Amino acid sequence: MELANTLSQDGESRGGVLAHLERLETQVSRSRKKMEEPQSAQAEESALGTRIHELRRLRDKLRAEVKQHQASVKASTTNVESDQTSEITEQESLKRKRENVKAILQAYRFTGISGKLTSRGACVCISTAFEGNLLGSYFVDLVMRKPLQIHHHSIPVFIPLEEISAKYLQTNVQHFLFTLCEYLNAYSGRKYQADRLQSDFEAFLAGPLQRNSLCNLLSFTYKAEPEGQSFPFCARLLYKDLTTTLPTDVTVTYQGTDALSTTQEEQRAAHENLFFTKPLHQVFTSFARKGDKLDMSLVS
Amino acid sequence: MRREPAGDVVRAKEMDETVSEFFRRTILKIPLTEMMTILKTWNFLSENQLQTVNFRQRKESLVQDLVLLCEENRASLNDAALLDIIYTQFHRHQKVWDVFQMSKGPGEDTDLFDMEQFKSSFKKILKRALKNVTVSFRDAEENAVWIRIAWGTQYRKPNQYKPAYVVYYSQTPYAFTSSSQLKSNLPLLGQALTVASKHHQIVKMDLRSRYLDSLKAIVFKQYNQTFETHNSTTPLQERSLGLDINMDSRIIHENKTEKERVQRVTQEIFGDYPQPRLEFAQYKLETKFKSDLNGGILAEREEPLRCLVKFSSPHLLEALKSLAPAGIADAPLSPLLTCIPNKGMNYFKIRDK
Repeated sequence: MELANTLSQDGESRGGVLAHLERLETQVSRSRKKMEEPQSAQAEESALGTRIHELRRLRDKLRAEVKQHQASVKASTTNVESDQTSEITEQESLKRKRENVKAILQAYRFTGISGKLTSRGACVCISTAFEGNLLGSYFVDLVMRKPLQIHHHSIPVFIPLEEISAKYLQTNVQHFLFTLCEYLNAYSGRKYQADRLQSDFEAFLAGPLQRNSLCNLLSFTYKAEPEGQSFPFCARLLYKDLTTTLPTDVTVTYQGTDALSTTQEEQRAAHENLFFTKPLHQVFTSFARKGDKLDMSLVS
Repeated sequence: MRREPAGDVVRAKEMDETVSEFFRRTILKIPLTEMMTILKTWNFLSENQLQTVNFRQRKESLVQDLVLLCEENRASLNDAALLDIIYTQFHRHQKVWDVFQMSKGPGEDTDLFDMEQFKSSFKKILKRALKNVTVSFRDAEENAVWIRIAWGTQYRKPNQYKPAYVVYYSQTPYAFTSSSQLKSNLPLLGQALTVASKHHQIVKMDLRSRYLDSLKAIVFKQYNQTFETHNSTTPLQERSLGLDINMDSRIIHENKTEKERVQRVTQEIFGDYPQPRLEFAQYKLETKFKSDLNGGILAEREEPLRCLVKFSSPHLLEALKSLAPAGIADAPLSPLLTCIPNKGMNYFKIRDK
């Protein structure tokens, strides 16, 4: 409309021509802008595109680096582990060997005499047993000096240690230990028998078992059948030889006033013989078994 | 005139007044907290009888009730003596104990110790010498026997309130006696012990203490019972040596090596075990004065000086053990102090050689 206005009015359209040129100018600049926009957009587009490419490239590069690093770490850890495992197995095998040797040394006590070296000398352990039962252990700590000395020990005071060491300690240590071993084993065996009698065969005893520290004098009143008709006998067992577990003297007597019948006398003599030949608790086990046999006979 | 029955024979019908009084005084000694335990150990009054007594009443009345029960049961002097033994066993620290050592002749036969024979022999010897004497026995653990002796004279009944006690472990050479105030009877007691236990000689050791169990540990050599074996789990080197030198890292011990040396020496001498308990060590010195200084009045003295040095402690050996680590004495301590358990002595007489 402006164009029409400027063209129709000559006189007044000079401003019109300039205005027209102005309009044309703005038109051109607009169209130029329009033409430029896609260009700049394109430029922007391409710029962004290249940026994207770059970023992708960078990303891929970093990814590759990370992968590589992980791979190398894994490789290095597996290397370390394999080193460690070989170390471990070596350690383990040494440990097992050591445990083994220790166990063997500990098991030596089952041989009866075992020992361990000490800073002073040696500590000898005498383990006692009777009829396959492991009983107490006793120790002698020796000081390796001239003269050989006993530093301290756990031998009971009623075992004649001074006597035995006076005889053998300086001249023959082996004999000293063997003799001590003999005495201690015999004592443990006698004590075992007395303890078994007191605990397992209480029913057969008519009174308390009389004993002493060395268990070498035992005196008791017993019945061969705890509930039966048999009458009580008094037994007196002496163990004059301190290295044995069987008595050296046995006396079985009847406390009553009447004389014994022949069967009773036979029984008495038989019992005496039993006490001489068998360990105490075994004698009473055989009494108990005889009792069972009798019961069986009554039943059948 | 009624004839007085001799020694410990009790009239059948009623309890002797003296016996009744003896019961009363013996039961009165027992602290209320231990009353039930001791009566049960005595095992003379039955469970039912004990239940009829009110143990919460005043002690005097309780004692009266118990004495009445004893009279009901026709308790004898021997029963009372047994109760006295049990009380003493519970309160053994109230007595001071001496140790005697017996010896046999050379080449003696095996000791076939018969406890019943020992008891009857012991009693017979005392009764033969002293008509008036009360002898009572109580068997104890480890084949030992406690003997109670109430001494009288030809003309006087035994004094039940000043008895002597003897503890004897069968087939050992040692007897422990409570220091009796009646010292004149000691030789007779020694003779009875020696003959009854089939020994030849008896000698008093220079060892005395209230702690009977410690005396036993010393003479039976039972005080050190730690032994090295392959079965032990704690290696010796790792055990802490009392003083923990590295308690605080901010503290630096300048004389660490010396401290360690002292610890080592103390451990070698005293060991790691609990020491037996003694209350004193006594040294009677009869020696000439020795001095580094030349001259001086005492140095010229020809006669030996006589003095008594006594170390006392609630636990002497533990105290001696702690002297060097505490810095009060040099290590090693004088062998006169450290030989006490080994030699079984805590009385010493030191003379110039």
